[in-house]
Amino acid sequence: MSKKSGAVLEREPPLREQSALTISRGGAAHQHTLRNIGLIAGYEFRKRVRQRSFIIVTIIMLVLVVLGACAPTAIQYFTATSSSQTKMVVVNNAGPIAGMNDAALSRFIGTALNGTATPATGTNTSGNPPYSIRIAPAGSSSSSLQKQVKDGALSILLVLDRAPNGDMHFTYYTNTSNSSLSEDPHLARVQAFAGQLNVLDKASRLGLTPTQTASLFAQPAFSAVNTGQNSRSVADTVTGYILAYVGILLIFMSIYLYGYGVATGVAEEKGSRIMEILVNAATPFQLMVGKIVGIGAAGLTQMAGFVVVGIGALLLQAPLKAPLLGSSAGGLNLDVTGASVTLLLLLLVYFLLGFLLYATLFAAVGALVKRQEAVQNVVQPVIWFFMVGYLVSFIGISSPDAAWVKVISYIPFWTPTTMLMRIGTGAVAWWEIALTIALMLVAIFLCAVISARIYRYGVLMYGQKPGLRQLVKVVRGA
Amino acid sequence: MGLRVEHIDKSFAELHVITDLSMEVREGSLFGFLGPNGAGKTTTMRMILDILRPDSGRITWNGQDVSNVPRHNWGYLPEERGLYPKVEVEEQLLFLARLHGLSKSAARAHLDEWTQRFQVTEYRKKKVEELSKGNQQKIQFLATILHDPLILIMDEPFSGLDPINATILKEAFEEMHRRGKTIIFSTHQLEQVEELCQDVVIINKGQTIVQGSVREVKRQHGRNVARLKLDNDAEARWLEELPGVQVTKRRQDYIEMQIRANLNPNLIVEEALRRGGVISRFELTEPSLTDIFIEHVSEAPHPGVPATLSA
Repeated sequence: MSKKSGAVLEREPPLREQSALTISRGGAAHQHTLRNIGLIAGYEFRKRVRQRSFIIVTIIMLVLVVLGACAPTAIQYFTATSSSQTKMVVVNNAGPIAGMNDAALSRFIGTALNGTATPATGTNTSGNPPYSIRIAPAGSSSSSLQKQVKDGALSILLVLDRAPNGDMHFTYYTNTSNSSLSEDPHLARVQAFAGQLNVLDKASRLGLTPTQTASLFAQPAFSAVNTGQNSRSVADTVTGYILAYVGILLIFMSIYLYGYGVATGVAEEKGSRIMEILVNAATPFQLMVGKIVGIGAAGLTQMAGFVVVGIGALLLQAPLKAPLLGSSAGGLNLDVTGASVTLLLLLLVYFLLGFLLYATLFAAVGALVKRQEAVQNVVQPVIWFFMVGYLVSFIGISSPDAAWVKVISYIPFWTPTTMLMRIGTGAVAWWEIALTIALMLVAIFLCAVISARIYRYGVLMYGQKPGLRQLVKVVRGA
Repeated sequence: MGLRVEHIDKSFAELHVITDLSMEVREGSLFGFLGPNGAGKTTTMRMILDILRPDSGRITWNGQDVSNVPRHNWGYLPEERGLYPKVEVEEQLLFLARLHGLSKSAARAHLDEWTQRFQVTEYRKKKVEELSKGNQQKIQFLATILHDPLILIMDEPFSGLDPINATILKEAFEEMHRRGKTIIFSTHQLEQVEELCQDVVIINKGQTIVQGSVREVKRQHGRNVARLKLDNDAEARWLEELPGVQVTKRRQDYIEMQIRANLNPNLIVEEALRRGGVISRFELTEPSLTDIFIEHVSEAPHPGVPATLSA
């Protein structure tokens, strides 16, 4: 019947349509569920992605991500080029120590503080070590050097003397802004190598050969065994904590933002009355699911963009560092692949499940308001409810294996944030993960059914405010 | 067959909106759905579309419950217009047509045809909120028919249209009628109903008052209308005393009266001549739908809802 009507009068035989109707009997709108959900999701996705606010936020966030990824390199670069090296002068009034002359002593101190030997002159090569060490000749004027420390021209002055019994004596001068000397970061390191020097010196004075001294310092055979089943390295634990924190925050923020988007979207369709046409074309269930999937996909696209650009920017840091900082720079090595892959995957799984669960609730409350401006009020209770899980995740981080934390992590509405925290920080059995995922799927199904009923009831309600009793009746399928 | 509404009831909370309402719409007919504001027209339309379910009674299309009729067979123009204000015309029309079951190419073909017919091709890339009210109305109509539905349900499609756009819409109605569509629409412009519709129903307070073909309804009314002009007796006060005659309007150029159906109109002429009147005009007409509507609706006045008409 799509033919253009020309001069000929077309009267379509009604009989043909009748038979078509009888064939598809019993199907109604339900028969196209997947097609309709796909159409609605695609429409919602395109609508959202083209919004100016979406584009602007995405660009701003991308810039921030790139800046964030480059920040460590930039900081390293600037600290390296600026002369914020810790300048240290050692006055050796103690004569040879453990058979070392001044040059050997400089090398020893350099190795102890910088991890590499430093030329005695401290020439400025590319990639400055944190400490520059100069050995001043014995008997140098201590007071003039002390004045340099006071003026800030020198960071540290270390004077080596010998007590009458031959034991070494160290005097450490500094001008630190720290309130107490114990907070001075350099003091501990200097004390550490002073201790070593002292032992070396005593050993040589006792007549031990360098080999014997070395054997004295050899580490004992010591093996550590963790009997817990999920033994993890320190690095893994730290990565777990970071990922858990970031994940909890990410899940909370994105569910809040995109769930809110679902609620306003529904309210907008209701307010502009296009809902009346939509409910004729598709079932409320299809409309709700399509909207959730479309908005969720837009959100995922945005986040995938951040992740891809972020990882790309991080990977660029190594080639960037080489020319800027020289090969010697070890710096901050963020090992992306080293992060627990399972944790990342579970982050994704719990994010998706959490979004689906809350989006159905947001859709239902969005369907209950009359105007878009009223969304804020009805969304609040849902947000507060969600906040419980969010807060528990942060409170429970110190005792992830406590019974109450476990119980809360099994409650689907609080699972995403709390389980993520538990996986990141403690030992979680695989069956717990399976159980929580299963529970969440059940909860999503139930919430979708209930929300679809509220949605169907709410989307065409413009007059009276629905009471709680009426809602219960609706949910029961009255 | 066609659409059959049988003894439906509907109440919202304590408010009884529809009481034992029945009506029948033949397949392929242009059907006027009339009633004062608040009579329950929109609620009935929503029940026909299976957006709302009646508390009791049933609604069938060709013997089949309307909830089982595939959705793409229905086209609905809601009373309060609804489109996405910030989305381009073309994009949302294609989306709605496809949601109603059309393929992408078919949706595009229909869009091309109807935007040309409605002279709105230049607005296809515009956002709805940028259009004039009349053009928004046209787009709304396109949203109703683009998926080529079998049954069109339109809630006051003519309201807010200027005469030119109303004519375009009327022509579209006739075109859809030629294509064998069943068209049900409500309106307060009763001349349009007389012009377009074969069948009408008038409901009031959720109940059917009159229904049938326009001619039947007029005959059922049991009264005819006569217009008389006497050159030498403009007042013609004696008309008031004639049994079976009721003067309804006194105009500059004639006096209009309703006469009982079984009254021979010759009596009026005879009486006028007997009184020496010079007749310059005498005609018999059918009562207009407006007359019938007002009479029926004001017989049962609806509290709070004045039975006024825009026509």
